[in-house]
Amino acid sequence: MEALKIDSLTKRFGGVYALKNVSFSVEAGNRLAIIGPNGAGKTTLFNILNGQLTATSGRMYFYGQDISKMATHRRADLGLARSFQVSNLFFNLTVLDNVLLAIQGTESHRFQVFRLTTAYKDMFTKAQQLLSSVDLWGKRNDLVQNISHGEQRNLEIALSLASEPRLLLLDEPTAGLTAAESANIIEMIRKLGADTTVLIVAHDMDVVFGVANRIVVLHYGQLIAEGTPEEIQANSKVKEIYMGNEEGADNAGVD
Amino acid sequence: MGTAKQKSSGFLWQGQLIRFAPHIIGGVIFILLVPFLPTYIQSLMTKILIFAIFAMSLDLLMGYAGVLSLGHAAYFGVAGYAVGILMVHYGINSFWISAPLAILLSTLVAAIFGIIVLQVRGIYCILVTFALGQLLYSIAMKWRSVTNGEYGLTGIIRPDLGLPHFTWHTTSFYYFVFIVFAICFFLLYRLVKSPLGLALQGIREGESRMSALGYNTWLYKYIAFVIAGMFAGVAGVLFAYHNGIMVPPNLDVATSGFVMLMIIAGGMGTLYGSLIGAAVLIIIQFYAGVLTPERWPLILGGAFVLTIMYARAGIGVYLYKLYKKALLAWKP
Repeated sequence: MEALKIDSLTKRFGGVYALKNVSFSVEAGNRLAIIGPNGAGKTTLFNILNGQLTATSGRMYFYGQDISKMATHRRADLGLARSFQVSNLFFNLTVLDNVLLAIQGTESHRFQVFRLTTAYKDMFTKAQQLLSSVDLWGKRNDLVQNISHGEQRNLEIALSLASEPRLLLLDEPTAGLTAAESANIIEMIRKLGADTTVLIVAHDMDVVFGVANRIVVLHYGQLIAEGTPEEIQANSKVKEIYMGNEEGADNAGVD
Repeated sequence: MGTAKQKSSGFLWQGQLIRFAPHIIGGVIFILLVPFLPTYIQSLMTKILIFAIFAMSLDLLMGYAGVLSLGHAAYFGVAGYAVGILMVHYGINSFWISAPLAILLSTLVAAIFGIIVLQVRGIYCILVTFALGQLLYSIAMKWRSVTNGEYGLTGIIRPDLGLPHFTWHTTSFYYFVFIVFAICFFLLYRLVKSPLGLALQGIREGESRMSALGYNTWLYKYIAFVIAGMFAGVAGVLFAYHNGIMVPPNLDVATSGFVMLMIIAGGMGTLYGSLIGAAVLIIIQFYAGVLTPERWPLILGGAFVLTIMYARAGIGVYLYKLYKKALLAWKP
């Protein structure tokens, strides 16, 4: 079963092609890494998949359903979640409120006016589990603007996991983290069940090779290679883009 | 407000006194003290409560949902004029008929304007709300046969509540307004603490994240816009009864700006800040107006500079922090 199918997606900003005729598909349960130098169109691709940008042409299918023209919030309802490269959190709310909002987002009571938020006990239980898994339960009453960058990155992941998505888009989840903090996040992604399909954009090769079983390489908006990590490592075109020589892609992507 | 987390056991009575100080002070001033005050003060306090309802409605929209509006007086004015027109032209004096009709009308106007305003975002909302507000102002000015134009719609008297042995005087009208204020505060307080209220704050903080999480952000902002228009209508109804006359400036940009200043001065996104902001601005307007009828905005401006310098988040928030500090100081 294909969780996601992208069919000749093109995005043009004026005369510049951010994405040019990109097609690939992802089997359900797979972990696909999207790599490529800066400006390759990785985040643009996420923004289009998420619905925050509209593609110039091309289509996308989510479990067979055409979502090309669907509003962002409806895609979320279907089970598509994402994290952001630059933490996109509710900075003037508490850590707990951030997670509650994320959990509530796909629940039917989100329009409820006549009951207090505190009446939804199961939501609090879930928030506790989620925050404990990223070591933030102790900081639940802190405003997000007052917690550290690493903690904000963890919260960013927690928010994207809150709806138990079928397809999770992670945009540079470990950006700016220490090695130990990165390892933690890699571990979290590994632990996700097979019912969650993961697309991950990363520069950090530890993340790419630690998590992914498939890799797609973008370069100037074009898909230039697709395959297993071993195939990609052996691909001469990829080596050329990253290194301009024969050294291999292991330590590539450090800009 | 009473979010202190202390255990009540082993608490000094002074601590409890401080804990409930805002409620006690508020209760004494707004409930017990009023009958003993001169009538002009009672009337001033009535006006404060009316504008507090008005300010809370704008706070829901601006402070919680983050939608800027410089035309909020439109819904206030529409409801006030509706009450006046029903009374003056149609002789309908029953509160139970004219108030619901007036509030329904202001809600409808908000429902129509909201669709137009929310086509744009952020600062552009200011322009569109301003333009729509001025449109209603022009109607109030030009539709003389109905609104009596710039001379204002006079002859609005206090409504018939249908209660036996009930007479209106300054004090009974004050308590009437107080009860309506208390109901509005309770409803709005529940609303901002509901799942929908939390969602509105999320939209204020980060709309793109909210849609990625599954929220139809436009619809939420629209709901907030319509509810805000409805509560502004409640304030407008009371204002018409209080003032006895509706004039076009009641729905123009000056009134919208005045109520916006109230929530900025009192503290946005707090609700109680609206009451404090309304009190501060109306007291300044009243006493500075007595002192120097033409230059009172100068004093208002000075007060604003001081607020921004010493209590940027708003006087209400500043007082709340002091209250929290006092609570901590008494922690055993």
